[in-house]
Amino acid sequence: MDETNEIEERTGSVLLGILAAAAGWAVPGMGHLLMRRWSKGAVYFLCVGGLACAGLIMRGGVFGADAADMFDRLGFFADLGTGGFYLLAHFIQTAGPDVAHASGDYGTRLFATAGMLNLLTVLEAYEIGCGRRT
Amino acid sequence: MNALFAGLSHFQALTLFALVVSVTFAFLSKQAVTERAKYAAWAFLAFLLVAIGIGWLMYPFSR
Repeated sequence: MDETNEIEERTGSVLLGILAAAAGWAVPGMGHLLMRRWSKGAVYFLCVGGLACAGLIMRGGVFGADAADMFDRLGFFADLGTGGFYLLAHFIQTAGPDVAHASGDYGTRLFATAGMLNLLTVLEAYEIGCGRRT
Repeated sequence: MNALFAGLSHFQALTLFALVVSVTFAFLSKQAVTERAKYAAWAFLAFLLVAIGIGWLMYPFSR
């Protein structure tokens, strides 16, 4: 174990983990940037942000909190994983969703995938903040 | 930007999905640059090959 990792393990705390996770949820990659993982932060922001924007531009559906059934509820939680992009979805997708066409259907899946990917990065940011992972 | 993404075909959307997920998984699971590159390339190709394979398996039932 090198010196940097040793110091970070000692200074890691649950509070720092929660802070990193919250920042990473709000802005994909931000949790890693706070933990000084520059390349990971940049890549996660580009990947999650790019996928979320592609999904919205393709006029994919964004699930709301008023879910009608279990599948809609799962879709809502997946979409919510994109954090800031979920909150800005209506500003990015000015024309609204169009899932009647194949392109809109693909967009729905891409946006949900972006949310799930971001949740994985949030978990990693939490682990780094807690000092359990380098 | 709109013109770039709005008219993506099924295969193009699949390729975008495979690329982004592969790169993210590589950064999540590997630490060294060479390992990440290998993992991302392998996962990307696997995504594409499996999708094309499943597509061909479903082809006889499409008519």
